[in-house]
Amino acid sequence: MAFNVTRRKFLQTASLAAVSIPLSKVVCAETGVTKASLEPKGTMNDTTVVGGLCEMCFWRCQMVGKVRDGQLIKLEGNPKSIDNGTSICARGNAGIKLLYDVDRLKYPLKNVGKRGEPVWKRISWQEALDECGSKLKAVVDQHGPQGICVFPHGASAKYPMHYFERTVGTHNVSEASFFQCRGVRDTAYMASINEAPEEYVDMANAKVIFLVGCHFGENIHVSHTKNYIKGLQNGAKLIVADPRYSASAAKSDIWVQIKPGTDTAYLLAIMNYLVQNKKYNQEFVTNHTAGFDKFSQSIAEWTLDKAAKECEIPAAQIKEVADLLAANAPNVTIHPGRFSSWYGNDFQRGRALACLTALLGAYYVKGGWLPPKKPKLSKTSWAAEEHGNEHNLNYHNNKMHHPYAPPGTPTELIRDCAISGKPYPIKGCVVWGQNPMQTIPNQEKMKQVFKAMDFVMCVDVMPTDVTMWADILLPESSYLERYDEIKVGATYVKADDKEPTQYIAPRYPMVEPQFERKDQVYITNEIAKRMGHEKDIPVQSLEELVNKTLEASKTTLASIKAEGGIHLQPGKPAGAVPEDFMVQLFSDEIADAGFPGAPTYIPVENVPAGHARLLFGRAPVHSFSRTQNNIWLHHAMPVNPVWLNDTVAAKLGLKEGDSVGFINSEGVKSRTTTIVKVTPGIRKDCVYMYHGYGMVNPMLSICGGKGVDEQSLITKIAIDPESGVHGMRNNFVKLTKDGKTLDMPA
Amino acid sequence: MQYGMIIDLERCVGCHACTIACLSEWEVPVEFHRNWVYRLGPSKVGDELASTYYPGLCNHCTKPPCVDVCPADPVKMTFTDATGKTITKSVAATWKDPVNGTVQIDKSRCLGCGACVEVCPYNARYINPAMIDDVGDGKADKCTYCMPRVEAGLLPACVQTCITNARIFGDLDDPNSEVAKYVKKGAKGLEPKGGSIGPNSKYYGKKKDISLLFQDYTPAAIADIDAVNRRTMLTAMIKPAMRKAQDLGLLGLAGAMLVQGLGKEEEKKNG
Repeated sequence: MAFNVTRRKFLQTASLAAVSIPLSKVVCAETGVTKASLEPKGTMNDTTVVGGLCEMCFWRCQMVGKVRDGQLIKLEGNPKSIDNGTSICARGNAGIKLLYDVDRLKYPLKNVGKRGEPVWKRISWQEALDECGSKLKAVVDQHGPQGICVFPHGASAKYPMHYFERTVGTHNVSEASFFQCRGVRDTAYMASINEAPEEYVDMANAKVIFLVGCHFGENIHVSHTKNYIKGLQNGAKLIVADPRYSASAAKSDIWVQIKPGTDTAYLLAIMNYLVQNKKYNQEFVTNHTAGFDKFSQSIAEWTLDKAAKECEIPAAQIKEVADLLAANAPNVTIHPGRFSSWYGNDFQRGRALACLTALLGAYYVKGGWLPPKKPKLSKTSWAAEEHGNEHNLNYHNNKMHHPYAPPGTPTELIRDCAISGKPYPIKGCVVWGQNPMQTIPNQEKMKQVFKAMDFVMCVDVMPTDVTMWADILLPESSYLERYDEIKVGATYVKADDKEPTQYIAPRYPMVEPQFERKDQVYITNEIAKRMGHEKDIPVQSLEELVNKTLEASKTTLASIKAEGGIHLQPGKPAGAVPEDFMVQLFSDEIADAGFPGAPTYIPVENVPAGHARLLFGRAPVHSFSRTQNNIWLHHAMPVNPVWLNDTVAAKLGLKEGDSVGFINSEGVKSRTTTIVKVTPGIRKDCVYMYHGYGMVNPMLSICGGKGVDEQSLITKIAIDPESGVHGMRNNFVKLTKDGKTLDMPA
Repeated sequence: MQYGMIIDLERCVGCHACTIACLSEWEVPVEFHRNWVYRLGPSKVGDELASTYYPGLCNHCTKPPCVDVCPADPVKMTFTDATGKTITKSVAATWKDPVNGTVQIDKSRCLGCGACVEVCPYNARYINPAMIDDVGDGKADKCTYCMPRVEAGLLPACVQTCITNARIFGDLDDPNSEVAKYVKKGAKGLEPKGGSIGPNSKYYGKKKDISLLFQDYTPAAIADIDAVNRRTMLTAMIKPAMRKAQDLGLLGLAGAMLVQGLGKEEEKKNG
């Protein structure tokens, strides 16, 4: 490569000698006219704007921007931040390439072709809003509010979601962050400890960090990663259970190469060992748990040997892990995880993690689960109204289908209803910031939903795959161009601080929106007016919404801006375990609902002969399927190689870098190919890919068709019975090469 | 003084914040980079599995081969240290700064011949085709250790954004600096096989991770200096000759009048 450059340059310069050089250059040189500097200037002397709040993912790091000639040229961590400090991740740094992405949606568009095969015509906002308002109103008039379904994601989707849920009155809202991500974790913990766990684990002060499937390093949230590394630097032992030698496994002291789907069996064996050998925290169990006896009986069958066999790991290693946890309790982090939509048995795994934390007494202690006391904010949005459960699909036929569902309605209930028209028709669809083609399994089924609609509207910043199914497509201002939600938190600024410091950081626009992009309050209000809800509109602008939300904190957008974009105030320590804090080791409530009262292992389907289980996860440079068209991030990881065990690869005759496609056990083929990564760092019975690649929308000029869309291969649907959340790792694939299907060796 | 950078692989999580911050700070064309992160493994190292990262950048070598091959006409350049003491030395278009130890490029004198790009065992340099003037069509470009930022009292962009403080910047010659302490603890640079060019970007980490990095990314050897030198000599001979030919060609022909005329116009404009 280097040689080619030299040679090419050499030839170019040699040929230049034969022709004349442009006169202007010679003249300039001779008259000493100052030439433009060849050296990029750096951003040190550019204007700094404060108040940026990142949304390349949902972690919301606080930023400052560097502006030159009205253009945002760099983003940096806000030096005033006590959360992320001056750090932002790759995605955060690449935010300006989303802002100025040439493929970004610029104007309201009307699909004058077919859904899924759009032909776009630019229309005015007036026409677009009239169309959305009248079509959605027609659906409500004909079918009732339940005739509308909503697929929201991200900060900008909260306001319109509340409008459709509260004011219009549909239950049919499916947030990807709940039903295809963390919802089952949240409800499992709520059923166990009465609150969602978030990621409130004090890894920085932990003696042991226990991760089940978390792959920090590939999955990046800045302050969380900082705490994780602080913990490791402080000497914490790291245990990682993962079928793959993940970025976290590579830093671990103990890697548990567990068989996919068997995590709960593993956790039950650890807990049973702690109980049988009286290595649990008896004081905590006595004071803060319920149902210990029933719980211990229920898990008693899970001996080390039984779990070893089920999970395909050594019994001695299970014991080693249990002993290490017990020896360091209570200052141990049992990480609740985040993305939990794995196998359709995930509620029970969440329960097991919550119960294991209790046995170790690791709630409200240093190094354990330690929720911060955050500043209070006002709640400002569309007024909550009661709409009853008559049209709530989760309550249909007087039966609660998924009693531990997160807020909204389980996606599959909405899709089945939309496609079948039973128990009622769903005819209008609002997609706001979500890309259901790549967040929800079984793309053909999703297409059926869109085909069944009278009207589909999408609002987004980028032309994601789902936007091809819109009738009206609206361009939204990005997180860098609008006011919006507020990040609050509390943290110890210095390790030896007695009290934590609280922070309040609202989102401010860093530059004006370009073209005809509008924010969610404008779009929602205009639609609401057209649907007859003008009198219910809670705020006239996003700025007003944020200021009203700040009221409880006695701050304003103006006061915080003057403080550098972040307000700091003294906080209070999390304190000891609240007296009424109870962990349901055995939950009568869950048992009454018809599910196991104690955490229970539910085996998942085994890998059929000739196949491998398809696993997927995060790339450090991407958030879901939202960032792939970002030119900097794309170049950092242009495709998603498939991880393949080295002995399997040898048997298949595949080597590193070979191009392969996929076919799943239901005969669905991948649209594109990717390359093979050959490694001993993955089990033989599975393959692994980064999520979010291989998009089809031709409007995505950078990432379109690059890598493989693993979601297109996830066609078999698994539903977690308690929560109604999807499980997405129960699909099986074979590799294909040059048109030939390769049977995975036994 | 010798600026250097430590990359602590115990802390690095391979997130790429450093590479993207650099693109942003220095407007690096998207097909190039001044620094990079490669993921290594998971592979067997002895009996163990290991996986780590190669976050690479210019090593600002103690004996930089890129400096020796630059064919640009040397000029005298004066460097001033913190105490006001000056050092004057003769430098080509790329040189090692005798005060702070960094390796820098004068783009206005770079011929764009690519000799330095070719000889760098780390592929840390590239020709930036967007940089064009009458001296060269494309210019050599690379990491400067963010000297303009450092001189303004800031940290290098990659260090500032690093989410786990895995990148540490400072003076290796100062025994009290954090970077020097890391060297005492065993941080070392990726020296080419059989070479001793003294890379000043150094790596620290678990034994198996360092083994994996050095096993995969120790440069085989410094590029064949003789071959590079031959090409460099050719370039050096042709470039000035070419420029002379252009001047002669223009001035010797009717172009002379044109140039004169334009020159006068320029004078009017400027003054």
